[in-house]
Amino acid sequence: MTEGLKFSEVEIGDDLPEEVPDVSLSSVTAFCKAASHIFDRFLDHEAAQKEGFPGAIVPGIMSQGLLAAMIHKWAPGSSIRSIDTVFRGSLLVDSQITMTGAVTDTDDESNLVELDLAIIAEDGRTGVIGTAVVQLLE
Amino acid sequence: MKRRSLYLSFTFADIRMILDLHTHSVKSDDGRAKVENYCKWIQKKELPLDGFVLTEHRQFDDQSDYRPLEDAYGLTIMKASEVETDYGHVLVFGVNDDLLNAFDFTNVRLPIEMVLEESSKAGAFAAPCHPGRKRVGLFAHYEEKGPIQGVHTVETLNGGSIPGEDELSSNMAETLGYRGFGGSDSHVVSRIGYCATNFPNQRIDDIGQLVGALKAGDFSAISMKEQISS
Repeated sequence: MTEGLKFSEVEIGDDLPEEVPDVSLSSVTAFCKAASHIFDRFLDHEAAQKEGFPGAIVPGIMSQGLLAAMIHKWAPGSSIRSIDTVFRGSLLVDSQITMTGAVTDTDDESNLVELDLAIIAEDGRTGVIGTAVVQLLE
Repeated sequence: MKRRSLYLSFTFADIRMILDLHTHSVKSDDGRAKVENYCKWIQKKELPLDGFVLTEHRQFDDQSDYRPLEDAYGLTIMKASEVETDYGHVLVFGVNDDLLNAFDFTNVRLPIEMVLEESSKAGAFAAPCHPGRKRVGLFAHYEEKGPIQGVHTVETLNGGSIPGEDELSSNMAETLGYRGFGGSDSHVVSRIGYCATNFPNQRIDDIGQLVGALKAGDFSAISMKEQISS
């Protein structure tokens, strides 16, 4: 039997534990190599600045992956049915970013929950918002 | 029947009507909040909101009927618009057919003075939002091009502001003699109510009454971000 967060243990308004993921240059570089997502703006601060960014930026697909990891850490054994993100601003490599989430709806017939997701940049800007639909254990 | 939270009625004992004047739903291209989920969230979190205004980007939603949700949750749900001008973004309350025919809501470079004037002529109320924000805020454009006529009210508290933006908005508004209101600018459910507007000793049940209250000027911006997010 799989252990994890059960649907009955969740209600609207619950917060997911905040996460501060590692977006150091080495971590982002490792992700980009693993994902074959090789662009200078993610891997090199100077190259990113030449493109008009303040420094190297965290790839969108990595942001989405980090949010998915946060969900699974909160609810082991759950299944993410969909995840939808809106990129509102750059998240800088080698900065401190904070991920948040909250339960905004529940469906007791399907054990599905809807989540709000966000990633806050070090300066307080919201870099990413999103939602996810997650199936929890019975 | 309007609901009032116990813990916040203690905190804001004399408040009569609190409205979040700046929210977005899935009708906006970057909005991810379902309107019913806003209602569920307000109820579950016992937020001291009596209602909210949906200010969808570059459009006016004249199709959606939220009266069943108003009845089910005891909230006032109104519709307005956030348009884009050469001086940043502007909220327009009281959108009607005259105004919809006056300019193209999808135009991202509307002349702000035209928007203010046409809104006034149509009996609506237009006010710049997040004026302290770079690029899309009124005061950034004031720095470059100088002030314009016709502005009387701005959003001095915005739930999406970064540190410094609301302070700039409030200081500039005070210097220029503008009134200030608040809105969360929420695009996801959990951010509704971060900032709002308190209308003391007033009852506002529809957009006409809201426009009247905004024109009368007896309101203030409030922030509940710390209480809600903690």
